[in-house]
Amino acid sequence: MAQPPLWRRLYDTAEHAIAPRLESVVRTEHFARGSALAGWAQATAKARVAALSARAWHLVNLPTGTDVARLRTQIGALDREVRRLALRLEQQADNDGRTDGEETDGAGARPP
Amino acid sequence: MRLAAGARRPVGCTPKDVVWRRGRTELWHYRNDGVQVSPPLLIVFSLISRSFILDLSPGNSFIERLLGAGFDVWLLDWGVPDERDAQNRLEDYVDDYLPAGITRVLELTGQDEISLLGYCFGGNLALLYAAHHRSSPLRSLTVMATAADFRHMGPLADVFGTGGLDVADVLDADGNVPPRVVLQGFRTLKPTAQLTRYVDLWERLWDDEYVAAYQAMTAWSDHHVPFPGAAADEVVRMLVRDNGFVTDRLTVGGDRVHLADVRCPFLTVLATRDHIVPEPAAAPLIDLVGARDKHELRLDAGHIGLVVGKTAARTTIPTIIDFLRQRSTVSRSGLSGTSPGSPARRTSGFPG
Repeated sequence: MAQPPLWRRLYDTAEHAIAPRLESVVRTEHFARGSALAGWAQATAKARVAALSARAWHLVNLPTGTDVARLRTQIGALDREVRRLALRLEQQADNDGRTDGEETDGAGARPP
Repeated sequence: MRLAAGARRPVGCTPKDVVWRRGRTELWHYRNDGVQVSPPLLIVFSLISRSFILDLSPGNSFIERLLGAGFDVWLLDWGVPDERDAQNRLEDYVDDYLPAGITRVLELTGQDEISLLGYCFGGNLALLYAAHHRSSPLRSLTVMATAADFRHMGPLADVFGTGGLDVADVLDADGNVPPRVVLQGFRTLKPTAQLTRYVDLWERLWDDEYVAAYQAMTAWSDHHVPFPGAAADEVVRMLVRDNGFVTDRLTVGGDRVHLADVRCPFLTVLATRDHIVPEPAAAPLIDLVGARDKHELRLDAGHIGLVVGKTAARTTIPTIIDFLRQRSTVSRSGLSGTSPGSPARRTSGFPG
């Protein structure tokens, strides 16, 4: 088997020396707490900016991105309720021995 | 040349039909005219990545091998969650989608049992399902690269666990955990891997086969899907902070569930070089499930190596096939067009 080129051997040597150290650093509690703090700071900064811009837009009676996000969340929750209800009805229909073909593409099924 | 031309080998090519759909979730049935094994095999995929890793390319496809071994293969694909899925909790998958998918498979095959195979976090969902639905029609349960002890899941779990970061702090406008957060978490596991990947590519840039495989793999590893926000919050609280699988503090839909209630034949496959679900994270599982007929397979492979590449082809897939066939009914003449009660035999001899 041919030996890898010199540049590759140099890279591998460096990588083997550095990688374990970096991997042990990212598993430390300090790294976890630091990353969490950075994530929290980023989220807080975004929330502050959103709150400031929301105040400005609300002054002229316009909806903000946050308002839209809140609406999307509510629609998402409603969608979930409807989906769960539909699944439960489907299961109930199956339990009662009925068939519900609306969501099933029967032509695509190839039972053995 | 492939890179310059932007040519990509297609992925997920094995012919299949979508037989049921609800929300973003789809139930796929892979076509197989040579079905010899019953009950059908339903694969439950992870919530954070795309399922085509199980059907990467012709000749390098987990699905293709299962079909070749005579299995009737079905897959529950969760799709790409959006704002409508942000409120999804684990119970949505464990108590609604999974039972509905199983019912559909049983209905379409005329069988009364099913074998379940969970990959990565799909294994956790399958375990929760089996534990919460004790009278479920499971002939067997197989999980691959599935974590039990989430304290060993690496920096991403540490940030939410010991670091104390809340899921709410990383949600996007849709209310889901964006894929970049998960991707960043995975990249942090091996900080030099990203650079090494490009070095490997540079070294083998003129090898078309390598470049094609590289493109297929990166198409999977760089393109995760959003994790539904409420489910992610539940995972952090119950599985990471409480370490629920190990401490037996699992709740689904308000009910306490116990892995000790998983009684069907069980196989856990774990990879000793897995950096995403490390060996110490997956290893406790075998002792936690209550099945008497339970087996563990440890392989010298990485997370992806369990389903893709030489180790998968030589060891993982044949062992899983062997396990499943021995807990299935195998017909030499094939089951196509026959009734579920056709002449058949049970195989035996799985080690352990």
